[in-house]
Amino acid sequence: MHKLSNRVRIAIFILLGIAIYFLSGAVDELRVYQGATVAVYVVGIASIILLTGYSGQVSLGQGALLGVGGYAAALMRIHYNAPVWICFAVAILVAAAAGALLGLAAARLSGPYLAGTTLALAVGLPSIANQFAVLGGEQGLLFDVGFPPLSFGEEFTQYKWFFWIASLATLIAIFWLQNVMRSRYGRSWKAVRGNDVAAELAGINLTRNKTLAFTLSAGLAGLSGALLAMTIGTVSPSAFPLALSFSLLTGAVLSGVTTLGGVMIGAVTLVAIPDIAGAVASRFGSSEAVTNNLPGLLVSTLLILTVLFVPNGPVEQMRARREHRVKK
Amino acid sequence: MIQLLNTILIGLTSGAIYALMAMAIVLVWRSTRVINFAQAGLALASTYIGYQVFQIVDNYWIALFVAMAAGAALSAFIEIAFMRLLLKHTSSGPIASVAPIIATLGLLGIVKAIITMIWGGQDAVIKPPLSNTGFSLGSSTLVFSPMKLAIITSVAVLVLIFSLFFQKTNIGLALRASAYAPEIARLAGVKVDLVRTLGWALSGAAGAVAGLLLTSNGNGSFSPESMEFSLLLISGFIAAVIGGLDSLVGAVLGGVVLGLVTSFVLMYISGSLFFIAPFVVLLLVLFIRPQGIIGVKAGRRA
Repeated sequence: MHKLSNRVRIAIFILLGIAIYFLSGAVDELRVYQGATVAVYVVGIASIILLTGYSGQVSLGQGALLGVGGYAAALMRIHYNAPVWICFAVAILVAAAAGALLGLAAARLSGPYLAGTTLALAVGLPSIANQFAVLGGEQGLLFDVGFPPLSFGEEFTQYKWFFWIASLATLIAIFWLQNVMRSRYGRSWKAVRGNDVAAELAGINLTRNKTLAFTLSAGLAGLSGALLAMTIGTVSPSAFPLALSFSLLTGAVLSGVTTLGGVMIGAVTLVAIPDIAGAVASRFGSSEAVTNNLPGLLVSTLLILTVLFVPNGPVEQMRARREHRVKK
Repeated sequence: MIQLLNTILIGLTSGAIYALMAMAIVLVWRSTRVINFAQAGLALASTYIGYQVFQIVDNYWIALFVAMAAGAALSAFIEIAFMRLLLKHTSSGPIASVAPIIATLGLLGIVKAIITMIWGGQDAVIKPPLSNTGFSLGSSTLVFSPMKLAIITSVAVLVLIFSLFFQKTNIGLALRASAYAPEIARLAGVKVDLVRTLGWALSGAAGAVAGLLLTSNGNGSFSPESMEFSLLLISGFIAAVIGGLDSLVGAVLGGVVLGLVTSFVLMYISGSLFFIAPFVVLLLVLFIRPQGIIGVKAGRRA
């Protein structure tokens, strides 16, 4: 893996931020909103890449952790009227705590057992919201980050404000995650994923390692959930369905689950597919039932094709091909 | 007293359905070492095919039989056209252990999307063949109805047929042999690939019956979005894990245990724990006895 120096990376991230800033001024409202959604997905997908790609654990219940983050942020906002960034910080911490608990359990499970357990959690957890009145039941809670500051001018729209917050949070999160993955923790996760017995013999504590991965991943998921809650304005059980967990996993596979490099690919695909499907369906004059389900069909088909033919994702595939050519 | 009896009987009925689903999951696990997360989707598809047949012939039992055949065919087709390719492509590499899980989830998405495209608009109802009003016991009425009795009986008969098939026939022996040690079975002349397909087909049939009986356990109506079908997959998986994931007897026992536990929790603790109770059962089993109640070797590493 080519390693850029820290200073270059910081420069790249700042440049990205500036590019996003100008981009947000150049496109219309819908695109800005979609941009915010992409940012939400990027963080969510990154949390799965960290968990599945790096530490080799599968979670089908990431949506539930997003839910934990979303609810934590909303509760902070409603009961303590906390500033937005504190809401996000609390969302990360609470979700990470939940993830640590889950991770302790998960470290004892592997493969299909872990997948089934997290799936059961994803189905079970949303019903908790109906159990306690403070969580607002089926309607859920409002999560209102407030209007953009007046100093940005009259023209500055609410969606653009969402987009800015989401993009900034995402850039910081991804930068941090890159650092983690290049640290000794990242290397030991890779070792565990490659061969857990050998890693254990080399002195890596498997349980602590896997639990740490789960905790950090859950923190990212919590941030993603809080951002999601911000863009839709509410948190409710139906905002974090099983389908969300599956979408994030799909996005992670499309991005290439073993590297962070392609994380945008999956997020953009997830956001773009409904538009593409809509265009295709109206082109062929399909019925409503077909139109509504075309996105699901396309995403699932893409998922299967990716697993079959580019199991490590497009970015890794291209890199492998390039290295192959160089060797010749 | 009546309440206790009701709780047990309801638990046994839903337990019987979970048991079938668990058998379906175990059959696939034994033949290919894959948990088929699309299992509930296949069950739903078979149920819809049964519904289509029911519209034409208006006979529940014929519909059930056709649904079974369709489930078997569908499942076998997926094994041949898809799982073989998958296991060949992703047998190594960093995501080898994750790939089958993700792939069957993709399959679930495809199956569900297609079902909704075909049948999504209408609310499907398969009228249960028997009455769902409970038997009366003395002066009071039980929740247990002729339909529930029929469900338990059908499952018991099916389990009996399956176990006779596995224990007494040569094909059953081949199935057990290739689950136990595929390489040795191959050397002994068993056509392991064919046997795997057969395992998937049987699983599809069991899942189809589970799906159809599940709708008849309620008022007979269902839709692609039915929560029951998501729960069916999870209950089946949990029941299979309780039973050790490798044994058909264990799957049946696991289904009954899970049915009884959830029924007691609902009746005596709180109805709103319906979704979280199975999860707690699963965690308890995985921590206390990960090899399942009748498993012999450590199963969770698998």
